[in-house]
Amino acid sequence: MTSSNFRSWPLFLVLAVISMPLVIMYVYLFVDTVTDTTAGSLIPDRFTLHHWRFLWEEPETGRVSIWTVTLNTFIFATCTTLINVSASVTAGYALSRLNMPFKRFFLGGILTLHAFPTITLIISIFLILQMIGLYNTLIGVILVKAALELPLGIWIMKGFFDNVPWEIEMAGLQDGASRFTVWWKLVLPQVQPGVAALSVFVFLSAWSEFILPQVLAPSGSAQVLSTYLSNLIFDDMKPDFNMFKSVGVFYALPVIVIYLIFNKQLMNIYGGGTKG
Amino acid sequence: MRRAHLLGLGFLSPALAIILMLFLIPVLLTVMFSFTNMSTATGISGGAYEINAASLRKLADAGAQESFVETLGKESFVVDDAGITAAAAAYGEQFANEVGSQMLGERFSSRRDLERAFRKLKSRPRSTRDIKKAADLFKRSVLNIRFETAGGLVDAVTDNGIEMTPDQQELLTKTIYTGWTWTSDNFALMAQIPYVWRVAGNTVLYVVLTLAASVGMGLFLAITTFYLPSSAASSFRAIWFLPRILPNVIFVLMWKWLAWDTGFLSSLLANFGVPPRNWMLDTGVNAWVFIVLINGIVGASLGMILFGSAIKSIPQSMLHASEVDGASRWQQIRYIILPQLRWPIMFICAYSTLSLLTSFEYILLSTDGGPGGATEVWSLMAFHTALDNYAGNLQYGLGAAMALMLVIVGILASLVYLRIFNFNDLVAKPRIEQ
Amino acid sequence: MRISIENFTKSFGDTTVIEDMSLEIGDGEMLALLGPSGCGKSTTLFAICGIHRMNAGRLMFGDADVTEVSSQKRNVGVVFQNYALYPHMNVYENIAFPLKVRKESKAEVDRKVQEIAGLVHIGELLQRRPMQLSGGQQQRVALARALIRKPDILLLDEPLANLDAKLRLEMRSEIRRIQLATGITAVLVTHDQVEAMSMCDRIALMDKGQIVQLSTPKDMYESPSSDFVAGFLGNPPIAFLDGTVADGGFRLANSQVTLPVPSGIEVPGEGAPMRFGVRPEFFQPGNPLKVPGKVSFVETQGREELYDVTLENGAVLRSIQSQNAGFKLGQEVSWGIEQDRVLAFGPDGNRL
Repeated sequence: MTSSNFRSWPLFLVLAVISMPLVIMYVYLFVDTVTDTTAGSLIPDRFTLHHWRFLWEEPETGRVSIWTVTLNTFIFATCTTLINVSASVTAGYALSRLNMPFKRFFLGGILTLHAFPTITLIISIFLILQMIGLYNTLIGVILVKAALELPLGIWIMKGFFDNVPWEIEMAGLQDGASRFTVWWKLVLPQVQPGVAALSVFVFLSAWSEFILPQVLAPSGSAQVLSTYLSNLIFDDMKPDFNMFKSVGVFYALPVIVIYLIFNKQLMNIYGGGTKG
Repeated sequence: MRRAHLLGLGFLSPALAIILMLFLIPVLLTVMFSFTNMSTATGISGGAYEINAASLRKLADAGAQESFVETLGKESFVVDDAGITAAAAAYGEQFANEVGSQMLGERFSSRRDLERAFRKLKSRPRSTRDIKKAADLFKRSVLNIRFETAGGLVDAVTDNGIEMTPDQQELLTKTIYTGWTWTSDNFALMAQIPYVWRVAGNTVLYVVLTLAASVGMGLFLAITTFYLPSSAASSFRAIWFLPRILPNVIFVLMWKWLAWDTGFLSSLLANFGVPPRNWMLDTGVNAWVFIVLINGIVGASLGMILFGSAIKSIPQSMLHASEVDGASRWQQIRYIILPQLRWPIMFICAYSTLSLLTSFEYILLSTDGGPGGATEVWSLMAFHTALDNYAGNLQYGLGAAMALMLVIVGILASLVYLRIFNFNDLVAKPRIEQ
Repeated sequence: MRISIENFTKSFGDTTVIEDMSLEIGDGEMLALLGPSGCGKSTTLFAICGIHRMNAGRLMFGDADVTEVSSQKRNVGVVFQNYALYPHMNVYENIAFPLKVRKESKAEVDRKVQEIAGLVHIGELLQRRPMQLSGGQQQRVALARALIRKPDILLLDEPLANLDAKLRLEMRSEIRRIQLATGITAVLVTHDQVEAMSMCDRIALMDKGQIVQLSTPKDMYESPSSDFVAGFLGNPPIAFLDGTVADGGFRLANSQVTLPVPSGIEVPGEGAPMRFGVRPEFFQPGNPLKVPGKVSFVETQGREELYDVTLENGAVLRSIQSQNAGFKLGQEVSWGIEQDRVLAFGPDGNRL
């Protein structure tokens, strides 16, 4: 809100000052990928594409090609989104609208599950995956990630379903449609913004996920971009930040593009979706 | 059960299946694992019983009598059917028959005794060397043999003529088992870890500082951007929202670059004569500053969005009215805006306390608990213990016990939250009754 | 199709909303379920269409028992208060939806949609989305969708509540016209007495889960069965005077004024409490049975003027008079009650 009763430039100044460190980090994140800087200086002085060589050069022995890793990440994020969203959409509807026994119990349970982030489960999941042979596979990580985001997904979808007018469903029943048809043809189209928002949210969350692939699928063939980048950083004795940043920008690019396109939907989830 | 109920459960079933497999079973298994001594050494799939040099040493360390350990390690000689068959093949039926008829079932504690007994036989092999070799055919030992069950081991030991008291038997089977076993020692073990209280303290400090930082910054950002013209406001919001959606590896990478000894801070301060150093891992205090900044900014992003949308839902007329009534900007914030934010602030505090308590990714990626354990928090300790440490022996059981503590705190906290946030309002009765 | 509800009981959890209610609606009749909010009228409607289950009782459509039949198979069309149009479909698709789920052929669907669109006058709106329509147009679409599959029964749940005053007037006669044109049995749920009286053949006035009176609008207005019914119908509303029986007449409370009781009424015993209801049109300056008071409120309604007259004991009578009567606020007046049009109620509120 801008009000003529208050001046806004002092606020602007304060905000600009405290935002400075972040802005510097963002700017250098991009600039450093295409420039070189003389040691000890802060100003880049040469343009180069050298830091991006990981895109076209053959990987060192023992390392996997960035393109394989990117494909893995994409598969991981996409499958996680599909599984999570389909389970959330059905369960959210059931909890929002349908008659069933133990509904309070389920709802309370799902809220409680929300309190179990990664660490509390990852040790036993790590052992389970080893026992059933899904350790070091993408399938294992996909299932686990989809499951961990499920309570939030169900909760968000329930919120969207709650806002669909009951009368639409009643009208559908009167028009002779079955409960399933009503859901599929009449209710789902109303929550499409919710489905889109949740999909973007889960996709981004999976795309950024680090700890699960790091623990559950650390080896080369199932590597994703987050573990690839962090291994790169940890392995190097003499850090080549320009190269790390190039990989980082390559990794972050889809996130930024998605953010620019789906800004509104994301705000919906972050701003309202987590409200009770 | 009514048809309508089946429909509801049917819709819920995919989610239920996933939750059962990847939430409930893991939680139960966490409980189970926390009562085992599972580790890299024991493996996870069960083990075997085997007496060998190493396990005998372990047995002696565990307090077994010396004579018992010695007997177990010794070989013995038993005239049994297997030996006789072997002897028949090597030295002829006649010798074998004679051994069989005269000595079947006899035991000898050393080879020399058996050789002496052989010498009394008529059809014995002629050369001393052959007698020695023949005696070897009857050598029986439990050393270096894997037994799948404790019973198998005990039978083999008694078959070799070693008598054991029940105490000795229990000690033996317990000590030399190579797999994991049930135990309740983990919790005592946890209490004995010298730095465990410091880690607990770190955890509380981490939650409190980060929460304060993120709520404070979130409020500040939400309110200030609210008063700015919309173009400036949205740029600032974008700057502060990005940390939330940037992959954490990249976000931490930016901070590492900032703090590295050849990084931005060092280069900048070099102009003022400050020697370069790694600002993040330099001292414990520095490490804490970075931890709180990194986590706090990520938390502030969420706070900014949540508080921002709450402020936006305040009716404009209410703000205009307060201005007409002569409120200064500060009074407007204090008396109009902040009261409207009570609920979101409470929500953020509740939600973040739990998620901070169990989150460790940013710490793992930035300081990894360093320097010297200064920033190690509980969840990170569990992670280090069970899944990632330098010693290489991953103690799954102990780590699970540590994680179990967090599970318990999480359940208790969320039960309290369900109370506070009026759970009953969330469960609406279906209006279609078929 | 005749509808009969027999001994219908409905409860939600511990609260019983409707208890042992019976109602018969004739073939081709339009009946209003009228009552204040929370009286159970919507619950009754939802039970007829099958969205709510009945806890006890029986529901018959014609000779068929449909108590346990699902909504989809009852062949009942419903128009909801907010119309419940499907926002993601255009008008044509909305109207065609009931036929589509019945898997009727494209040509058949098209023919029927055009036909019904003609009946409700929305032929030129078929390609629009519900969001692009005015309230009245949405209402017509909802009607078309409810009627297209030729339901046996049409249920209307507060269909005019979301319309502005002018449209409400228009749609009132439109709905009645369509109902008469199709000859369908219709049930209208409303809390607005004007709607009920102007649109329906009969009114079932409900209160606290019970039908308190079931009769034609005219009959209900002229001879209400209780003070509740009398108070509910009529605008401006009826005024009540409280008092007791004294010397075979009606003695106003806290006053020495005694009024004669209308003829043909069985007067309760001496001293029993009694209530008079006087409609504004029957309290006029020209009537003989004078009651003195002071004008305490004047409201100009254009064609008419509405006066409140406070009697000396504090009770208020209401009078509606044609304009230019010219009485002023605070003026002492002595107007008369039309004795035979006074409604007298006993201590339990029932009409004497």
